[in-house]
Amino acid sequence: MRFNPIIEKELKIKMRSWKAPALITVYLVFLGLIIFLNFLGTRLLSPYDYGQFGPSTALNSYNILAVFQLLLVVFITPAMTGSAVSGERERQTLDLLLCTNLSTHSVIIGKIFVSIAYIMLLITASLPILGTVFFYGGIRITDILLLFAFYIVTALALGSIGIFYSTLFKKSSVAMVMSYLTVLFLLFGTVIVYGIWVRIFMRYSTTPVTLAQTMAFMFPNPLYGFGSLTEGMSYNIPFFGDIFRFGFSMYGGSQYAASAPVILGITLKPWMANIGFDIFVSILLILISAYRIKPVKGLWRKKRVKSGELKVESEKTV
Amino acid sequence: MLMVENLVKKYGKFKAVDGLSFEIEQGHIYGFVGPNGAGKTTTMKIIAGLLRPTSGRVVVSGTDLSRDPREVKKKIGYMPDFFGVYDDLRVDEYMNFYAGVYGIPRQEREKITNPLLELVDLTDKKEAYVDSLSRGMKQRLCLARSMIHNPDVLILDEPASGLDPRARIEMKEILKELKDMGKTILISSHILPELAEVCTSIGIIEQGKMVVSGTVEEILRKASRKKTLRVKVLGDMEPAVKYLQEQPSLTGVAAGSDYIDADFDGDGAVLAGILKGMVAGGIPVVSFAELEGSLESIFMHITGGGEGNAV
Ligand SMILES: Nc1ncnc2c1ncn2[C@@H]1O[C@H](COP(=O)(O)OP(=O)(O)OP(=O)(O)O)[C@@H](O)[C@H]1O
Ligand SMILES: [Mg+2]
Repeated sequence: MRFNPIIEKELKIKMRSWKAPALITVYLVFLGLIIFLNFLGTRLLSPYDYGQFGPSTALNSYNILAVFQLLLVVFITPAMTGSAVSGERERQTLDLLLCTNLSTHSVIIGKIFVSIAYIMLLITASLPILGTVFFYGGIRITDILLLFAFYIVTALALGSIGIFYSTLFKKSSVAMVMSYLTVLFLLFGTVIVYGIWVRIFMRYSTTPVTLAQTMAFMFPNPLYGFGSLTEGMSYNIPFFGDIFRFGFSMYGGSQYAASAPVILGITLKPWMANIGFDIFVSILLILISAYRIKPVKGLWRKKRVKSGELKVESEKTV
Repeated sequence: MLMVENLVKKYGKFKAVDGLSFEIEQGHIYGFVGPNGAGKTTTMKIIAGLLRPTSGRVVVSGTDLSRDPREVKKKIGYMPDFFGVYDDLRVDEYMNFYAGVYGIPRQEREKITNPLLELVDLTDKKEAYVDSLSRGMKQRLCLARSMIHNPDVLILDEPASGLDPRARIEMKEILKELKDMGKTILISSHILPELAEVCTSIGIIEQGKMVVSGTVEEILRKASRKKTLRVKVLGDMEPAVKYLQEQPSLTGVAAGSDYIDADFDGDGAVLAGILKGMVAGGIPVVSFAELEGSLESIFMHITGGGEGNAV
């Protein structure tokens, strides 16, 4: 398979400009600052207070970083792909790509890959900071790998959503707004829909409502999957998992029934469902987007040529 | 080489292209002329595989576009009327990118792009950023880009639009070179005389229909058969117009600002008769002459006027 020329070109452009190193620098400084503030909060740096730097502080920092990077993925990916196709259209370069024999799938996949790669670069650049936490123990290397996989899949899904809108709307600005609205819906709208669903379910259900029966509405929510990612590990990111449980009980669900469903002997954790949903949506949207930008869909049927003579004559000369 | 047969493109009820047929033989340059909205761009986009026709057939060196669009796209180079460039690329990178798009291996790209840049005279701009190029240079770059996969057929949609006279001449020179290379070219323009110099055949299209089509010589012959008489009179033109309208050999009598034009069929004797009649009728004729039959005048005639030299 040949290397996707769009990836090659766009990465070259992105990495060459001063913006990439500048952005990485700003990002790392920002992360460093967050960690520093966290340490300040633990009074570790106070000369009067002999605070201790231990695994808990380190874990805390790790959690904060992990959340922060998720937010980065969630809020930057749509911006990067939301203009990918519509931007080419606005710049009048799309036709130049479509009149070549490059497949529209390559165009779409190239565009998504580039935006994911860029975000992954930022996240990878922050690895040393995560690494310092790693040395204090408390997290395994597999935890970090899983976290990364989760970021990538989330970026893939949100990138696909962005690119889908970018093929749907002619204007980049509209595509971008729609992408962000969709992201907001995934983050918060699903929680509301979920709550309504629990209410409805409770009204008609004779048995106590269980998490397993209702959780499907939360599968698309990246925060939900993310929250559960840390469950059962040696550390826990309390915020998202708990807010969901809190919501569940607030909506009237039974705390005690809050067990996840078991499929084929594997307990279906929300993050698994979330990743499954993301992959499904990505594949679907990539296929739809590639189809949408295809200038001539399928093979058009040949109409009968009116004059048989003309046809014979023309075929001779071809 | 390139054959278009009964091509129809409808937008709702409106027919942008209405049963268009023509054929271009290998190594020929076919000029596609027509006023704004005639359907030139639409036809070219269909051939380039960017637009689906409502019906009809496009065959490029034996391959039917509807059957095997990817194969046809390999044989066609397309230069759109409006196009953009990736402004943060250098000229050589720009060419390399499109070479990659066509699947040309990295190590062969330079070998292909260098002669093309040479052809369009951009070799010394190789390291310049694309957005620093002038419009004419960008247009030439786009032309070089359209040839990167060495297509047999080139579809050039108004490649000379927006260029100054000097750049137009340069573009014409490039076209002649392409013709010598044996490329089959479909080129559109609003300006007929400009095309006449480089084209082997010309098709005039209006409202999606082919009005006249043939070799440049044929069309020029038609032009010389069609004669225009221009009369100038002193003072009131009214009596002169009236008199000319009464003549059976004259049609389409139309008054201009200070002249009257009429199409006429016939020879010098007929003209002499008309002039004699006018003078005898007391009309103060200042000038009475046959206009040169030009491509421009047929174009204007066929397309019913309009901006002949607008681009
Ligand atoms: N997407 C579209 N929807 C509806 N009508 C269209 C569309 N594209 C083109 N048309 C119409 O088709 C007709 C032919 O347009 P086309 O661009 O092919 O003309 P043209 O000969 O290239 O004109 P020009 O000399 O101005 O470039 C025009 O009347 C135009 O309004
Ligand atoms: Mg046009």
